[in-house]
Amino acid sequence: MTKKVLSNNLSGNGINTFPMELKILTSANIPTFFNNLLQSGKVVVAPVLKKNGKVYFESVESYDQVSTDYIQTVFSAKSVVFPKVEELFSYTKKEDGSVEITNDMSNVPETVIWGLRPCDSSAFNYLTEFFLKENPDSYYKTRKERTTLISVSCAKADDACFCTSVGLNPGSTEGCDILLTAMGDFFYTEVMTEKGKALIDAKLFTDTEEKSKEEFLAKINIKFSIDEVKERIQNAYESSEWKHESMGCLSCGACAFSCPTCTCFDIQDEGTTENGKRLRCWDACGFGQFTQHASGHNPKTNQTARRRQRLLHKFKYSVENLGIVSCVGCGRCIRICPAHLNIFENILNVTKA
Amino acid sequence: MITENQYIPYTMRIAKKTIEAPNIQTYRLEFTNPEDSKNFTFKAGQFAEYGVLGEGESTFCIASPDTRRGYIECTFRTTGRVTKALANCEEEDIITLRGPYGNTFPIEDWYGKNVVFITGGIALPPLRCVIDTLLDQREKFGEISVYYGAKSVEDLTYKAELEEWANRGDVKLFITVDPGGETPDWKGYVGFVPTIIEQNLPKSDNAVAVIAGPPILIKLGMPILSKCGFPNDQIFTTLENRMKCGVGKCGHCTVGKTYVCKDGPVFTYEEILAMPLEY
Amino acid sequence: MTKLQNKVAELFENGTINLMIGFKNALTNQPVPCFIENASQAELLIYTPECKNNLAVYLHKPEVKQSKKIGIFGNMATLRSIVQLTSENQFWDIEKTILTIDANDEVIVFANMEELETYVQENFPDISEEDLKLLAYLDSLTREERWNYWTEQFTACIKCYACRAVCPMCYCSQCTVECNQPQWVKVSSKTSGNMEWHTIRAMHLAGRCVNCGECGRTCPAGIPIHLLTARMNQDLFKEFGTRPGFSTKGEYALNTFKVDDKEGFIK
Repeated sequence: MTKKVLSNNLSGNGINTFPMELKILTSANIPTFFNNLLQSGKVVVAPVLKKNGKVYFESVESYDQVSTDYIQTVFSAKSVVFPKVEELFSYTKKEDGSVEITNDMSNVPETVIWGLRPCDSSAFNYLTEFFLKENPDSYYKTRKERTTLISVSCAKADDACFCTSVGLNPGSTEGCDILLTAMGDFFYTEVMTEKGKALIDAKLFTDTEEKSKEEFLAKINIKFSIDEVKERIQNAYESSEWKHESMGCLSCGACAFSCPTCTCFDIQDEGTTENGKRLRCWDACGFGQFTQHASGHNPKTNQTARRRQRLLHKFKYSVENLGIVSCVGCGRCIRICPAHLNIFENILNVTKA
Repeated sequence: MITENQYIPYTMRIAKKTIEAPNIQTYRLEFTNPEDSKNFTFKAGQFAEYGVLGEGESTFCIASPDTRRGYIECTFRTTGRVTKALANCEEEDIITLRGPYGNTFPIEDWYGKNVVFITGGIALPPLRCVIDTLLDQREKFGEISVYYGAKSVEDLTYKAELEEWANRGDVKLFITVDPGGETPDWKGYVGFVPTIIEQNLPKSDNAVAVIAGPPILIKLGMPILSKCGFPNDQIFTTLENRMKCGVGKCGHCTVGKTYVCKDGPVFTYEEILAMPLEY
Repeated sequence: MTKLQNKVAELFENGTINLMIGFKNALTNQPVPCFIENASQAELLIYTPECKNNLAVYLHKPEVKQSKKIGIFGNMATLRSIVQLTSENQFWDIEKTILTIDANDEVIVFANMEELETYVQENFPDISEEDLKLLAYLDSLTREERWNYWTEQFTACIKCYACRAVCPMCYCSQCTVECNQPQWVKVSSKTSGNMEWHTIRAMHLAGRCVNCGECGRTCPAGIPIHLLTARMNQDLFKEFGTRPGFSTKGEYALNTFKVDDKEGFIK
C-alpha cells in the first residue's frame, strides 16, 4: 500500500511528493540487506561500539561491526555531508607567476548512513535548508546528493532525549530516505524517497499494510511546549537568568561539534605561499575568540553572551531565518558537556513566565 | 574564474600600491583573467574577501566605484596576520579575491536628495566608493557634504582624493584633525568630528545621512543626526564584524539573527536599533 | 538538611561567601556542578562518589570571580588543584572558603591554606590502579608501537578542547593554539596537528597536573589523554621528586634549577 506523504524532505525545494511505500524486512535478512549495500560499492557509515563503551558513527566493512543496543551515538553523522575538515581547494604557484587553483569533488563516494535516529535524520532537513536555500554551498550539495539516510526508530530513550518537545517523535520519518522500525522478528520499513526506493531489493522486502508503530517506540515525556518557548523566547535576550544558566559553561566546542545541526566553521590556509590548501574546519560559537575582531574588540564579551547566542540561535534565530527550530532534541550536548549543562533546562529557565 | 562554488577566488595582480598613512595602504587590483574583469560588477557598499594564499583572507570594502571599470581598489590598515601579509606584498604580486558580497547603499533612492557623509580615520574607504559613485553621476543628486576627520594630518586617508574633491567646487568638505594633530600649514578644521558637525549642522530636509566609523563616532554622531531631524530610516551605516565566509554560513559575523555579511553590511539606524548590541 | 547544606547556609548567612560552587542533582540524574547564590539554595547541594568534576577550574572564570567571596566544595581532585594553583599564585583577587567531606562524613571548612595543605598531604591519593595498569602497558611497548598507539588515538580527536576547558591548570588568557602570528598549532583536526596539540599540552602541564583525570574522562572521543601527563609526572617525580598538588610552596620542576639536580638522563 502506498501513501502520499508531505514532508520537508528535499534539497531545499520543500515538499516531498514521493508516494511512501511500506515494506517488511525480516530481522534475519537485515545482515544480507546491509552487506549488499557494501557490496554494491557504497561506503556505509554505521554506529560502532568502541572500547570506551560508547557508540560512534564509523565506516564499516560488515554488519557484524554494527551496534544495535544503544540509545544514541556520541557524535552526529553530519561529518558525512559536512566534514570536520574539508578541503575547499588546493593551490600551486606556477613558474610564470600565475596561480593554479583546483578543487575536485569527483571522488566523493556514494554513501549510506545506517542507523540514524529520527532526530538525526530530521537534522539533515535543517542542514539542507541552511546550506542550500541561499548562497548554495556546492560542497554540501555534492555530498548530500551522494548520501542516502537509513534511520532506525528508537525503542529506548534516556533522560537527555527530548525530541517530543521539539515537534518530533522516536518514530518520525522526517528527513530520512528509509525508516526501519523493529517489531519483534521483522522491521517495518517506510520508504520515503526515490533514493530510498533505489536501495530496496524486492527479494528481501515484501509489501505490507500500514502498521502502528506506537507500542514499539520509546516513551519520551514532553519537557516543554515548543510553541510556548518560541513565543516566550522573543523576549528572553534580556533575561537575568542567562548568567546563572551559563555559569557552568567552560567554553569548549564539545556541544557544537556533537550537535547534528551546528554548522559554524573556520577557514584556514595550510601550506606556504607557493602551494597548499584552503580548508574549512568546524568552529564553535562557544569558543572565546569566535567573534573577536583583529583589533581586539570582542562583541560577545563573556561566556554568558556566548551561551545565550547558542540557545537563541537554536530556538529563535533559526526560526526567524529559516522557519525551523534547529534543535532536534537528540540530547548529545547534554551527555557530552563536561559541566553537564542541560539545554532544555536552560531554555525553560530563561523563558520562565 | 568564479563558478557556482562560493569559495574559489579570483586571482588579482597588484597593479599599484600606495601608502596612504602609517600602516594604511591602498592596492589597485587588476584581474589576472580579462574575462573576469569584464564580468565582475558590484554596487557601492559591497565588500570582498581579499586573501594571501597560505595566510588567509580578510574582509574589506571595495573602495573604488563600479563606474570606473578595469580595476578595483581596497584600502586597509595592518592589524593582524592577514593584513600584515597583504601589506608585505609588492606590485605585480598575486592575491585572491572573493566577492562581491553583501547588500548595497540604496543610491537610486537618493536621486534628487542632499547626501551627508560622516566618517573618520580608516572608515573613509567604504564611503569613498559611495562618494565617488555619486560624483560620477553628480547631476542626479543635490548637495553633497563630507565630514571627515583623523587623529592627525598624517593619518588622513586618500589625501590626493580629498584635494580633488575640494577642487571640484560641488562638494562641501569639512576635513578635520584631532586637537594636537594639526601641522603648521594645515588649513582645515581642528577638532573631533562630532564637534565639527555640531558647529556646522547638516540640514535634514530632503536629505539622507551616511555615517561610518569607529564605535565612538557612531555613538556620538547618530544622536546629532537625530537631533537635526534625520529620521532613523534615512541614516545609513555600514557595520563591520569578524567575517570568514562572507556568504552567511560560517556564523562569525552574526548579530542576533542578522548576518552582517549577507543581510548587511549596509544598515539603517532603525535596523541597528533593533539589533542586540553585539557588534 | 544535611550537614553540608547547613554549613553552607551558615556561611551565606554570616557573609563569609557570596557564591558557592558545589554539586547538585539534575534532570538527567547525575551530579552536576552548581552555583548557589544564597542560603535558601543550599539544600540543593549533594556529595556522592559520583561527584567527580574538578571544580577548581571555575575559580578562573570571570563571572565567578565577580562574586569575590567564593565557597567551593572540594573532592580530592579539586583540593589538590587548589593547592597547586596556590603554589602558582593564582588566587590574588578572590577570597575563597574551601569545604570538603572527610572519610567520616564530617564537613570540614578549612580555616587557612596550611590546614588544607595538611589535609591534602595526609590523604594524598595514588594514581588509580586502572591507570597504573594502562601506563605499565604503554611502557611495555616499543617506541614505535607506542607512537602508533597514540597516532591511532589522535585520529579520533576533534579538537573540541574540552580537555583544556576542564583543566584547572589551563588558565592562560590566551592559549598557545589561539595565537595565529605564527599559527603554532594547526587549527584543523588532522592527526599530526592533534598530536602537536596534545604534546604541547602535556609539556605545559608536566609537573603541574594533579592527575585528577578529568581530561581523559571528559574527552568525547574517549582518548585517555590523562595518561600523557600522568606519565610525565611519574618521570618528574623520579628525577626531581616533585608532586603537583602536594604543597602550596611547590616548585615547578621545569623552571627551577638546583645545583644538585640529577642529570642521569643526559647521556
